[in-house]
Amino acid sequence: MSEPAATPNDQPIEEELYKKREKLYPREVHGVFAVLRLLAVAALLGIYYGLPWVNWDGHQAVLFDLPARKFYIFGLTFWPQDFFYLSMLLIIAAIALFMFTALAGRLWCGYACPQTVWTEIYMWIEQKIEGNSRQQRKRDQGPRNAAYFRVKITKHAVWLLFSLWTGFTFVGYFTPITELWTNFMTWELGPWETFWIFFYGFATYGNAGFMREQVCIYMCPYARFQSVMFDHDTLIISYDEKRGDPRGSRKRGTPSADVGLGDCIDCSLCVQVCPVGIDIRDGLQYQCIGCAACIDVCDDVMDKMGYPRGLVKYTTENTLQGKTTKLVRPRILVYVGILTFVSAALVYALVTRVPLEFNILRDRNVLYTETDEGLVQNVYNLKIINMEDQPQRYRLAVSGIEGLQVIGQTEGIEVASGAVIDLPLRVQVDPVELKTSSSEVMFRIESEINPDDISIQERARFLGPVLR
Amino acid sequence: MSTLPVTERDKNELPVIQQIISVMWPSFITASAATIVFFTVFDPTELAMIGGFPNLTRTGGYTIGFFCFWLLTSISCAMTCYFRRPTHRRNPDSDTASNA
Repeated sequence: MSEPAATPNDQPIEEELYKKREKLYPREVHGVFAVLRLLAVAALLGIYYGLPWVNWDGHQAVLFDLPARKFYIFGLTFWPQDFFYLSMLLIIAAIALFMFTALAGRLWCGYACPQTVWTEIYMWIEQKIEGNSRQQRKRDQGPRNAAYFRVKITKHAVWLLFSLWTGFTFVGYFTPITELWTNFMTWELGPWETFWIFFYGFATYGNAGFMREQVCIYMCPYARFQSVMFDHDTLIISYDEKRGDPRGSRKRGTPSADVGLGDCIDCSLCVQVCPVGIDIRDGLQYQCIGCAACIDVCDDVMDKMGYPRGLVKYTTENTLQGKTTKLVRPRILVYVGILTFVSAALVYALVTRVPLEFNILRDRNVLYTETDEGLVQNVYNLKIINMEDQPQRYRLAVSGIEGLQVIGQTEGIEVASGAVIDLPLRVQVDPVELKTSSSEVMFRIESEINPDDISIQERARFLGPVLR
Repeated sequence: MSTLPVTERDKNELPVIQQIISVMWPSFITASAATIVFFTVFDPTELAMIGGFPNLTRTGGYTIGFFCFWLLTSISCAMTCYFRRPTHRRNPDSDTASNA
């Protein structure tokens, strides 16, 4: 154990906000939650860097192919027309976040947020190159000699390389990554791809290397409003004031009662490990990202002192006040209800999704014309979009008025995968059959190969004179 | 704006980093959302044809579109920040100037 340092956070919070930011040197932590966070970081980074290289059915498993305007997610292919599914997915993600926040506080921030994950890996690189927090601080306050620059340049070089790899992977989610890699190796990357690799790489470098906790404090909207999802049964990280205070140092192994103090030995390690630079003993603060580093370090100290663990721990407001914590409560039930409903709706929509879309546009120049035979004619333009991954042949049927005739192609309409075709169509009707000046007609289009699964009906108006 | 003496208020201004963030960051988020919605509806290659840039790739179109949106939204954010400033500040200098 090292010497206790002066706490940098003795000023009230109001002053803190207007103070010029000082670089934090969080101490490295070992413990249960540090291991959990490390596992989360490894898993999430593994998914991020590995997923674009996975193939599925002859294409990249997850590819938001922007140049081709189609999204592959394993076996599913989505087109811009499927925007609806994306918005539903976002709604599900948002509600799930709300639910987990109400249950377990800022789990997302502490273990899964990209900002945390990349900060963690950048800090790991920093520690490997620059040494622990004490050595880093000493170097920064020391002379700017050759050794200083050698260490700093090495660190930034490794950070930059890692950033560029991150940027490359990011672009690999939007253009096929194997192609991107080949182009990169042959030095033939397109200008826009190159730009985005650098742009995203630079953002990673800045956010994870320099901005760090300031992103959470100043930029994160979730950090600002997450407290509204908290109640007295929400899992929070808290210092047990009743047990800890009054604080004070004492010899190792001395029972607190003998010296008239609480269990907190005021070693300030919980402050030194904090990545956002707060003192957890001041109570719940919005800067706290719930990383549990203070729990790990305090448990370690309690072990050494021979005191029970959990002076700083995951707990709830109710437990702290000696009441019982309820897991199931109306707020949670409402979130679970909405989540179940929206998820079921999404699954249903995906299962019943017809990979075909068509729009009917009326000719806007003329309402109707009369043919030489005395029939009333309307002109339509059909747009047919094949959203399947293979070419399709469709047939078309129009109904709604007695004896209507369709002039134009109604069978063997071929549309390539992902293509849109325009199909001009004339519909002719005997004016005797027209009851009103605007009648309804039904257009039904179905696949010739698979009519049971792929068919759509659309309504349109047929305009004409009214004969009395 | 004329030069104003340093007052108590100036000391209480937000940190520079927060000022920059409050312009660049909300505009970035809204520009991203706008880009997604806009290009879901419109294909950049078709727009490029109309605009007279037949050689522009889709990726290029998305990029230019995003930065145009970001420029617009950041102008709007910057103007919000600018107009939030108080229109006049009471300070001893201006009082003596008007009395003279």
